[in-house]
Amino acid sequence: MTGDYVLEGLAVPESLNLLHDLLERAGREHPDLDAGDLMMFETAVIEVAGNVVEHGRPHGRVTWAFRLSVLADRLEAQLSDSGEEYPGGTWGTTMPADLLQEEGRGLALATAVLNSLDYERSDGANHWTMVRRRS
Amino acid sequence: MTENRIAVLQPTGRLNMVAAPAFKNLVEETVASGETRIVVDLGQVTFIDSSGLGALISALKATRQAGGDLRIADVPEQVMTVLRLTNLDRVLRVHPTVVDASRDW
Repeated sequence: MTGDYVLEGLAVPESLNLLHDLLERAGREHPDLDAGDLMMFETAVIEVAGNVVEHGRPHGRVTWAFRLSVLADRLEAQLSDSGEEYPGGTWGTTMPADLLQEEGRGLALATAVLNSLDYERSDGANHWTMVRRRS
Repeated sequence: MTENRIAVLQPTGRLNMVAAPAFKNLVEETVASGETRIVVDLGQVTFIDSSGLGALISALKATRQAGGDLRIADVPEQVMTVLRLTNLDRVLRVHPTVVDASRDW
């Protein structure tokens, strides 16, 4: 996909704030974009990116490229990371049953606020594609 | 009267993977100092992610294990939405203001 907004860098916690900044810029430059849609999309992007930061291997040395398109009917983003392949089926898209569990909600939360979240392994990289239809 | 003291913590900005560890430490220090009733004023938080939620759950457990409790107040829209989506609004007691949250312990 092409991207109206692009960010490349290292998948470390500090880079999450650069993603936040980029999404805030997209919001400023698209005043017609519903604030709720952007807020939920930002929630999903940060969760998917946080998952890469936490689980990407080799830890601390994974690089990523983020591309965001603000389209007439939807927000679409792809996060591609250089890390090792994620074991299929191990990433959770359901909320933990134990409400006092401190971890394990990230991708479930992303799934809840997106219309689609797809994972694909190709060309030696991981690709996460996120779509939310605009209200 | 020390036994009636309530600690109010006010994180600001993004309570995400970057900020959550420091918040968690602050709560642990607060509980260790004997202040086990904590109100977290979320009015200045612009965004929370699952790491931030984990830090709040950790804080709730830390206060309860010490015989206290944790309440949250002045919850912004994104935080409230995320609390509902994760069902955590069932365990984290939401209050409109810090003053409301500080009553009737």
